[in-house]
Amino acid sequence: MAAVRPARRPRRSAVPLLRFLLLGFFLLFVLWPLYWMFNTSVKPSDDYLAMPPVWFPDAPTLVHYWAAMFTYRGLEGLINSLIVSLSATALSALLGTLMAYSLARYNTGGQHLSFWVLSQRFLPPIGIILPVFLIYRQIGLYDTHIGLIIAYTVFTLPVSVWMMFAYFRGMPRSMEEAALVDGCTRWEAFWRVAVPLAAPGIVAAAVFAFIACWTEFFFALLLTSRTAFTLPTVFRAFVGFQGAQYGEAAALAIVSLVPSIALGILAQKHLVRGLTLGAVRG
Amino acid sequence: MAKVRISGLHKRYGGFHAVRGIDLDIPDGEFTVLVGPSGCGKSTLLRTIAGLEEISEGTIEIGDEVVNDFRPRDRDVAMVFQDYALYPHMNVARNIGFGLKARKMPQPEIDARVNAAAQMLGITKLLDRLPRQLSGGQRQRVAIGRAIVRNPRIFLFDEPLSNLDAQLRDEMRGEIKRLHQEIATTMIYVTHDQIEAMTLADRIVLMRDGVIEQQGAPLELFERPVSTFVAGFLGSPRMSFVPGTLVLDGGRAAVRLGDTVLPVPPGRETRGASDGKQVLLGLRPEHLSRAMQEAVPPGHFRYQATIDLLQPTGSRSYATFQLGGEPVVAELHAHDVSRPGERIDLDINMTRASIFDRETQRAL
Amino acid sequence: MQKAGTIIHMAAAGAPHRLSRFADWADRNFRWLLVAPAVLLILALSVYPLLFSLVVSFINYDFQVPGHAFVGLKNFSMVVFDPVARWSLLLTAILSGVSVAIEFVLGLAVALIMVRSFPGRGLIMSILIVPLFISPVIVGQAWTLLLQRPFGPTNYILGALLGREVTIGWLTESPWLYISLIVADVWQWTPFMFVILLAGLTSIPPNLYEAAELDGVNAWQAFWAITVPHLAPMMLLALTFRLLDAIRMFDTIFIMTGGGPGTSTYTASFYLYTVGFTQFHLSQATAGSWLFLIFTALVVTLLVRRLLKPETT
Repeated sequence: MAAVRPARRPRRSAVPLLRFLLLGFFLLFVLWPLYWMFNTSVKPSDDYLAMPPVWFPDAPTLVHYWAAMFTYRGLEGLINSLIVSLSATALSALLGTLMAYSLARYNTGGQHLSFWVLSQRFLPPIGIILPVFLIYRQIGLYDTHIGLIIAYTVFTLPVSVWMMFAYFRGMPRSMEEAALVDGCTRWEAFWRVAVPLAAPGIVAAAVFAFIACWTEFFFALLLTSRTAFTLPTVFRAFVGFQGAQYGEAAALAIVSLVPSIALGILAQKHLVRGLTLGAVRG
Repeated sequence: MAKVRISGLHKRYGGFHAVRGIDLDIPDGEFTVLVGPSGCGKSTLLRTIAGLEEISEGTIEIGDEVVNDFRPRDRDVAMVFQDYALYPHMNVARNIGFGLKARKMPQPEIDARVNAAAQMLGITKLLDRLPRQLSGGQRQRVAIGRAIVRNPRIFLFDEPLSNLDAQLRDEMRGEIKRLHQEIATTMIYVTHDQIEAMTLADRIVLMRDGVIEQQGAPLELFERPVSTFVAGFLGSPRMSFVPGTLVLDGGRAAVRLGDTVLPVPPGRETRGASDGKQVLLGLRPEHLSRAMQEAVPPGHFRYQATIDLLQPTGSRSYATFQLGGEPVVAELHAHDVSRPGERIDLDINMTRASIFDRETQRAL
Repeated sequence: MQKAGTIIHMAAAGAPHRLSRFADWADRNFRWLLVAPAVLLILALSVYPLLFSLVVSFINYDFQVPGHAFVGLKNFSMVVFDPVARWSLLLTAILSGVSVAIEFVLGLAVALIMVRSFPGRGLIMSILIVPLFISPVIVGQAWTLLLQRPFGPTNYILGALLGREVTIGWLTESPWLYISLIVADVWQWTPFMFVILLAGLTSIPPNLYEAAELDGVNAWQAFWAITVPHLAPMMLLALTFRLLDAIRMFDTIFIMTGGGPGTSTYTASFYLYTVGFTQFHLSQATAGSWLFLIFTALVVTLLVRRLLKPETT
């Protein structure tokens, strides 16, 4: 694990002050929109247009949360998001682990296969959304959970594969070899020895896949409608309308971001590996 | 228990020819040690016997069947790995019994065998622990237990003691030797350590660059090495090599090293080498001793040496001196020489000395 | 450690059960069977649609016009000569370029500060990475709440700081609306740069800096002589990845400006979206997507392949 540098005594007084200021400013920058969103979500609508702005309401209310969940069908969106994200995550983690093991241990398909899977990560969604839309309409997968689950699985596969590939490469083969000599078939050595050992990596890959599915908008927007719509798509109801929906929009946002942030912070040890597709160890 | 026969084995990794034409016959119950410097192909050879590597050419027979196409699980062999390769998520008992479980043996029988193996190795108290709670020596015992419990036809060891400290290594070496004495199963053992090879083997197979340089009983390789490589590999401190010329005079041979001419005792082979041949004289430290009596013992040559360097080890002292322009090490008693610069008389045992062709590096 | 007991002889366990024909075949083809499901899925939902859309680009597939006649390169030329298309490409380039540049500089600055350990570093670290786990739609929503008149407090705060009234339409007036989009992107993705660059920085051995200090090298020189060369590959990786994602910008545009006013905030993805899903000129949209795809593929093949050699992970 790389070392964080020990604190040093500053020799000139100006530089550490600068650092402190910059860091402070940046922290403020990060927290500011989140604060305002939370503020808005509990602010009674009377306070919306108050000048000067109300920094925290005297009478905070949960009315907007209720409206967001039910009037705007946020709860339905949330449940759909949960179903779709969990399923796609499970599939992606499973298929990704299988493929990653084959690539890591047997160098299957050589450079070409691994690069092909990897490059899917950079495929602009606009490139396939139109044909997928048409195909889905034709075969009846439009606006279904399954349709979105399949799409999300494919969409998160590259990162799952690459994170697990890096993880398996880091594991010594000798335990799997011992299992083979002991009496296992290749599948048994994989499933009974390699997979349990790779559990932390699989969990990390799953967390990132989940976050990716949970926050995805584009596919959900265009492949779902009134039945299988996900949480991010509910925000489309707040677009453009210059009205008194600020609270609902803010409330919905808060509800949506709490789980993904919580997961992200829990998995932050593996963050760098996930962001760089395993090319860099955190 | 089974014999192993390897014929014409080649293994290539892309362009790299790791094993080049090995023929090896290992009789039932023998302890064979594959030894050699890193990269010589010994581990690769072992792994092909286990079935963990595919072979490019040749055949491997275990018992009387050709096992080239057999999976590792079907070869009925057991292997002990250098890094122990214990399953970290299982306790010791399940580690040992893993192979039995894979054979769908009934649980009571598994338990009985596991307990017996644990008792044999003195690890009964550890059965519930996880590998990470064990020391290196304990882990290695568990690895051996995992192998014993199946009573396979062949035991394979891939440098099992390399990760242990010196004291533990000595102890485990003794245990493995004892194991073989009791079970008498065919064992093939890979190591780079020549002491392990000498002490454990019924037969040593010394490998270099993918071929067998020499094979045979340990003492045979030690006393009759076929090349300077073999001679230099076994024995510590290393044999000293001094360049010289073969001198033939009538029926008598001698080796000239600079100004000194050392007669070769009659009966020593020189394989019809001609007069004037460039040779290397090989002398092990134990072939040189301090002259004890007035008369030179038969087959010996007396030489007055000035000691350059002294390395005492407690029971002995290794003294380096110059002979024929090269440093030579002699093994003396602790108090034979007290400091560098001293001159003493040494008896060089020419009946045990080795003579090598300087060009081919092979023994005469 | 217990003393070992006497050797007890055990019956040979023998080889395990023979494999059935299927199990035997599966074991021999293990490596292919493992990759099959993932590969099939990608073929079905990525390769097949791509080929399908390629075909659609060359024919006349339009919900409003009957028939599927082959029209050659007509769809491509319609896109190429559409001024909105050209504008969207330009805008995409500018927005991505500026955003990524700012994210890089800011990310590097924060990474340099966070390299040292100090009390509270862990907590601050957790806060700084939060934007990465938020849906881009929500990021857009958050900034809309801050910037949209009359509700957002931005103008009020700026007014208070500058001493005079500020009446900027952050989501309606050019050039402010571009700045808003850039700020939203920077807010979300600077942590991306920061995290990767920090990982790179912490992997530089500290004794290099200590040796430089002893040699009398100042911090600025040390930065260019030690930090930059070591960090260069990581920088390239972060920049490439971020850029390839930035050019797909859609979600924030959708929420914050809806592409407007007019078509002034159309990015490439948004433009193609309107052509395909609001105007339903599907052939044109697929043709345009293919052009966009080719461009992206070039960048991916040239840069990403070099950065991510599969064997050297």
